[in-house]
Amino acid sequence: MSTPIIWLLLPLLLSLVGLFFTRRRLLLKWSGTSISLLLGLSAVIIPINQKFNFLLWELNISDQLLIFGRRFILSPSDQPAVILIFLSGFIWFLILDPEHVPVQCVPLGLTSLVLILTTYSVEPLFYGAIFFAFLALVSVVLLTPPGSTPTPGVLRFLIFQILGMLFILFAAWLASWIDINAGNQYLLQSSMLLLGLGFAFLLAIFPFMSWLAMIGEKNHSFLVAFVYSNYFFGIILFGIRFILEGGWLSPDVNIQLPLQATGLLMLGTGGILAVFTRHLGRLTGVIAMGYIGRMLLSISLFLNGFPILFAVVIIHILALGLWSLSLSILRELSGELSYQKIEGGWWQWPLVTSGIVLGYYCLAGLPPLAGFPIYWALGSGLSGISFSLALVYAAASSGYIIGGLRLISVLAKNSGEEFVLLPGRPFYRYVILVLMLGLILLGIFPGFLLEITESISTVLVSF
Amino acid sequence: VTSSVQSILAILLFFCGTAVLIVQSRRWITGLLAIQYLGVFGLVSSSWPIGIAVVKLVAGWMAGAVLLITYENISDNDLGTGITTGLSGVFFKGFSSVLIGVTVYSLVPLSLRWFIYASFQQALGGLWLLGLGLLQLAFSKESIRVIIGLLTILSGFEILYATLEASVLMTGLLAVLTVGVAFVGAYLLMASNLERT
Repeated sequence: MSTPIIWLLLPLLLSLVGLFFTRRRLLLKWSGTSISLLLGLSAVIIPINQKFNFLLWELNISDQLLIFGRRFILSPSDQPAVILIFLSGFIWFLILDPEHVPVQCVPLGLTSLVLILTTYSVEPLFYGAIFFAFLALVSVVLLTPPGSTPTPGVLRFLIFQILGMLFILFAAWLASWIDINAGNQYLLQSSMLLLGLGFAFLLAIFPFMSWLAMIGEKNHSFLVAFVYSNYFFGIILFGIRFILEGGWLSPDVNIQLPLQATGLLMLGTGGILAVFTRHLGRLTGVIAMGYIGRMLLSISLFLNGFPILFAVVIIHILALGLWSLSLSILRELSGELSYQKIEGGWWQWPLVTSGIVLGYYCLAGLPPLAGFPIYWALGSGLSGISFSLALVYAAASSGYIIGGLRLISVLAKNSGEEFVLLPGRPFYRYVILVLMLGLILLGIFPGFLLEITESISTVLVSF
Repeated sequence: VTSSVQSILAILLFFCGTAVLIVQSRRWITGLLAIQYLGVFGLVSSSWPIGIAVVKLVAGWMAGAVLLITYENISDNDLGTGITTGLSGVFFKGFSSVLIGVTVYSLVPLSLRWFIYASFQQALGGLWLLGLGLLQLAFSKESIRVIIGLLTILSGFEILYATLEASVLMTGLLAVLTVGVAFVGAYLLMASNLERT
């Protein structure tokens, strides 16, 4: 028995079985939720590479699996990543409303989580790129549920992910030559350029980001938010491994500056688009741009930034969950998510629209919501490097706040409707309420979240 | 595989890639794709043992078979077979292919600085397929054409990558990816006809 069998092969098998039960919506939802929770908890309690007693047996769970001479390793240092990924799955499947969301999301979503972990666990490292191509294929199927036609955004997403994989594979091969031809600047620069291009394709970095808003507009809001939340976190985890363990980045190469420039570019572009966007679905894509930007900025702070990075990820899981759950209910009510269609929505559907506004503002970083203290910590870290950097960061972030004001003005417009509706089933109304309350509490007491993320990054980096 | 055979295979790949771009019948496109994978197999077998190189051929033909079976199972209306490309469109696409062909040919000596184990013909064939695949992606909005474009790009990459890396797992994974792309293409063709869940 080994950890890759428990956390990779077993859930993969279960998700394949789940594909045969798509007519049993509730069964699928709750089994996906409980499996994710169990896998997340198992990562907390299972001792790796140590003998322990389980019922009548003495077990020793190894941390690696060998397939065709290549190793898949999930060691104790990877346990926080495993916990985070499966608990993310738990939250997403828990808030999934099978009445409004295609239930293939559960088995395919679980497969996505497994593939993210696979990219994280495979040795040699660059093999992870090819698993991202598989992840892109699964995401395409996830975003195109039965009965719908593939949208141009989804096709573009697939193209860019495959191209990104090819660039990373080639860059990794080229990088292996740097060891042999030590000091060859031409090879070093070429591999850095190709690697940068590869990650730019994967992470939808400017100018390869058009599909973010295209998918947001045309595809199901919940599925889009699920894919964006997990996909980009997976790529960032993979990228961190490249930086920390690649062993081929020359000490002369300054990756901090490109990371900061790219992060600010993404954040600034997202901020500008947030002001001018006239569609809630497209706004999901704009939020994703900010997410990518903030993650890149957090990584640019290296060890000091890792706790902030994980806090940004956790906040986005919760707030994007609230945003997308509310959005999928609103889509059923208004038929479309353009600003024109949702005018005055606050007076008709107060709970759902409050979920949308609160989720959005948490992601934008408005106090006293959960995003604010984390983004503040990020800004403080950047000001430690350069004050002007922090100023640009604040200016880039302000677009999101202004975009939110525009959203509020649309929702609060007097549409002349006098009736108030509480749509959605009671469970999901409570989920919206609990998430709203949780995001406010995390904003008031951010120490709790930062303590957790501090310990996550300590374990990840300490080994 | 001798140098002259490699040259013939590289030229075959260029003509197949161009024909895939121009031809409108999807069944013909799939047939051309199958021939294209023969060329890929030939060029890869110059770097690898036949036993491993044949994986590329089998995976490519499986991908073609998956697409062909999908066409057989859905109506022509759903396929939207009538891509109305007039004579001018055909000429434009053909001219673009020739431009790609000439550009790639002139860049091959430069590319051999990176693909150090590749022969001139392998680099030429691989880069031609990469270029023509990108052209296919640039010209297409339909999901099936995008999938064909991706398969073309992947096969071009596989020729070049085979000269650099000979790992069994990587070969297997790239083969699974080729078939996976075809399966996703088949799913995208059929998705609108499937029952909502």
